[in-house]
Amino acid sequence: MTALPWTRGHSTRRHHRAAIGFLAPFLVAFALFYVLPIGYAVYQSFLKIEREGTFGRAHDVWGGLSQYAEVVHDSDFWDSLVNVGQFFLVSVPLQLVLALVFALLLDSPVLRAHRFFRLALFAPYAVPGVIAALMWGFLYSPGTTPIPGIADRFDLLGPDLVMVAIASVVNWVYTGYNMLIIYSALTAIPAEVIEAATVDGAGQVRIAWSIKIPHVTPALVLTGVFSIIGTLQLFNEPQIFRTISSAVSSTYTPNMVVYATSSIPNYHLAAAYSVVLALITCALSFVFLKATQRRAFQ
Amino acid sequence: MRTARRRRTGAAVALVSTALLLTAACGSSDDSDGGGGSADAGSCQPAGKPVTLTFTSWVPGMQATVDLWNKNNPDIQVDYKEVVGGNQGTYQAYSNQIKAGKTPDVGMIEFDNLPSFRLQDGLTNVGGCQPVQDAEGKYVDWAISQTSFGEDGAVYGIPMDIGPMAIYYRKDLFDKAGIPVPTTWDEYYDAAKKIKAEGGVIGDFPTDQPAWFTSLAWQNGARWFSVDDDSWTVSLDDDATQQVADYWQKLIDEDLVDTIPGLGDPQWKALDSGQEWSIIGAAWTTKLLESSAPKTAGKWAVAPMPQWTAGDNAAGNWGGSTAVVFKDSKYPYEASEFATWAFSNLDALALNNKNGGQYPATTEGQEQLPALTEGLPYYGDQKVWEVFAQAAAGVDPSFQWGPTMTDTYAALADGIGKAVNGQGTLDDALTAAQAKTIETMKAQSLTVSD
Amino acid sequence: MSTLQRTRLRDRPIPVIATTLFMVVCTAYFLLPLWWMVVASSTTRGGLTDTSLWFHGQFELWTNIRNVVTYQDHVYVRWVVNSAFYATVGALVGTLFASMAGYALAKYVFPGREAVFNVILAGVLVPATALALPLFLMFSKVDLTDSVWSILLPSIVSPFGVYLSRIYAAAAVPDELLEAARMDGAGEFRAFFTISLRLMGPALVTIFLFQFVTIWNNYLLPLVMLQNTKLYPVTLGLATWNSQKAIAGNLQLYVVVGALLSIIPLMIAFLALQRFWQSGLSEGGVKS
Repeated sequence: MTALPWTRGHSTRRHHRAAIGFLAPFLVAFALFYVLPIGYAVYQSFLKIEREGTFGRAHDVWGGLSQYAEVVHDSDFWDSLVNVGQFFLVSVPLQLVLALVFALLLDSPVLRAHRFFRLALFAPYAVPGVIAALMWGFLYSPGTTPIPGIADRFDLLGPDLVMVAIASVVNWVYTGYNMLIIYSALTAIPAEVIEAATVDGAGQVRIAWSIKIPHVTPALVLTGVFSIIGTLQLFNEPQIFRTISSAVSSTYTPNMVVYATSSIPNYHLAAAYSVVLALITCALSFVFLKATQRRAFQ
Repeated sequence: MRTARRRRTGAAVALVSTALLLTAACGSSDDSDGGGGSADAGSCQPAGKPVTLTFTSWVPGMQATVDLWNKNNPDIQVDYKEVVGGNQGTYQAYSNQIKAGKTPDVGMIEFDNLPSFRLQDGLTNVGGCQPVQDAEGKYVDWAISQTSFGEDGAVYGIPMDIGPMAIYYRKDLFDKAGIPVPTTWDEYYDAAKKIKAEGGVIGDFPTDQPAWFTSLAWQNGARWFSVDDDSWTVSLDDDATQQVADYWQKLIDEDLVDTIPGLGDPQWKALDSGQEWSIIGAAWTTKLLESSAPKTAGKWAVAPMPQWTAGDNAAGNWGGSTAVVFKDSKYPYEASEFATWAFSNLDALALNNKNGGQYPATTEGQEQLPALTEGLPYYGDQKVWEVFAQAAAGVDPSFQWGPTMTDTYAALADGIGKAVNGQGTLDDALTAAQAKTIETMKAQSLTVSD
Repeated sequence: MSTLQRTRLRDRPIPVIATTLFMVVCTAYFLLPLWWMVVASSTTRGGLTDTSLWFHGQFELWTNIRNVVTYQDHVYVRWVVNSAFYATVGALVGTLFASMAGYALAKYVFPGREAVFNVILAGVLVPATALALPLFLMFSKVDLTDSVWSILLPSIVSPFGVYLSRIYAAAAVPDELLEAARMDGAGEFRAFFTISLRLMGPALVTIFLFQFVTIWNNYLLPLVMLQNTKLYPVTLGLATWNSQKAIAGNLQLYVVVGALLSIIPLMIAFLALQRFWQSGLSEGGVKS
């Protein structure tokens, strides 16, 4: 984010008008399809239900912070946050290291058949999460796995390993995605910089370490932030895994808590969960950005 | 610089909060009372003009039934939409549509989810509609009575199909090993031990099918929910249920049953490969087993469910659904006329059975559909449907569903998962589900007596 | 990459072999499940549980594909066309909007710039589950649920796209070039469309691709919005089949075959975009 602002006093007003013109289409859509619904959800979270009798009609009334009090006291929700915290550690470091290594290899002249590898690594991202989880379910289940011995030796769907099993699905889908983000940052490095280093006799490893990696640090930070967000919002994969593993509960991740609550349906509590989840995500992303900023945007 | 940034952030906050107020304004208007829509006898009148109804379900091939209706009823045309399974998203969609007043006229809801939609005030009581009153007597009594919620003469859903249960077993294996087909749960336990000695297992305790466990408790006379004087009583851990829980806990502890998720390929594989010798399933399992375990064709047979008391004819019911008329429907009379026809007329039932594998909820249908009087080659030409007709007559009519079953099921499944992974017992699962259900009901502002 | 680099490497075959081997092993992990899909799609319903990584029994792939395509009056084809339509249009418009916004945030200084940017970024953090219901209620107010618009309109917002194009525009569009264009009397918009947009090429392709895949894989929004099967995208269609498999057993196989087929259009899109990527790449490399 090293935008070079217009220095000296050019026709500032003209620029403001242009900026507004460029921003307007996106901002209008953003306000309509993001801000407005979010506002609605926030509003919903301050309501509660009142009714009379066994099947009496429900009325929404102002509930103040009562739904939030509920959230604070709900151990399932906080347990689910601990779960995704552990999941993050199991899944993300490996995923990002692999993505970086792949991107560097794809960008280096050492590797042949770039197009093939790039396509192969990205291909899983084209598989919708729901389908991917179903497919891996087949590969993990003792009765149906085509990989001999794996299910007998490891109880991949048992309470000890199921997190690793789900992480493997998530990594399968998203490593290629992260690789592409890093790779596209690598392609933005001016060719002469690499050329100059090569002329100076630097090897590929050295070029990668001292030129390429520092250059793509912002992209790495970005993938880190996305991984934090993605992990906190984990939903499809564990939801599918519930149908193949008894070790995944209906409140395994925060988003599953939200979903379960909204299918009761208890919109107000579900909205409160969503708001708290978004705030936690925001806070964690912010802390992460702050912690990495010095390295990322020097 | 610092203050400048503050100001900018302030502007952003202002932007967001303006949007918020805006939504708050339009949000409050959509909860306005639509007026009571329950149709008592007086208000359920024919529209007196040609109407078009919308109808959604996830029964495969339902379009054929609708086509037949449309051909014969030019004045009541039905526009059919196929949707995803209820728990895969359609229930959530219905809830949203109820909130927005955009429901179809007729929709499909499973029995166990019916109270939840009643609670959302989304259903029309069609008990006063003439077509319903005419057809009411055709339905198996416990099926229609489940849709009244204890209200006299009320009908909140027209039964589409039911799932009376029986035991499917590998006749060849049982015969070869000389093990008699269990008629009581004690015999089932003995058979399980013998089968284990033969190197197989008698069956599966499906960890992800709380509705299956519920139906076993139902068979034993469990009463999970009851309503009196505006207050609910919840007793998921009543004696009948605990007996069932303790029984299966024993089988799990002694490793006499598998504990894999049910109705998925792992279980089909186990059934098709001779690892599992039987499955306690519903009427709709008949076609499912046939298509999912094709290699063992001809080797299966069906017998009544094992009993808690020898000589009884108690059966559980697993699944089954109703066609509801949503509150926003302007034509409850026509809607109920269509729905009763589609799920009690013999021609319609034959189509539903052929295309969608539905087992009819009317006695007439169970006894007279040609397809239900034939022997099935997959089951060694046994007339399996007779077993289910008998089971349908043995389902306890007084079982009632709770108003937040999705949540109860989830809590139950979580507890069962823990139990089979050695982190508790099935009894603990009942206790936890009981507590969670009460908590959720109270959050819905329902009165629950302790 | 340059010929200079290539000549240097010719003398050192070992790293080439080692890295290629490493990539082959990793790629195997990434392709294995896809390969399993191909194998599974070639069996019968019963063969699905036969647990093999090689073709076995009768080779039924073509029959299965024909069955999937013709099932229920070619509804599957319709779903794929729908998905392609939603994804292409949504990603095109979304990319244009995002690149304009990102460009403005990178190249102009105006009050509230960082605040606007932060609010947009915060949009990435909102769980999709929280957006679906309010969106449904909003669309039902203007009677647009169960329509193409209910899927297309929310899809054109890509906060991540704004982020990416801001970074890229800052790095790849030299101020001097814009300055020169202005000297020549080009307006701001003309400068953007004739010069900047081209320089931002690789970023645009990336944004388009990500947005395309995001829309293609979207499940929750169409689930909430759509009633009409004919408007379904392929993800929702396959989920419908998946939820009916308990009643119609053959659908289990159709889901696998349908999933396999649905990947192909994405692969084509990716292969097609790869070319632009390469050319955009060289242009991005030309710096003053």
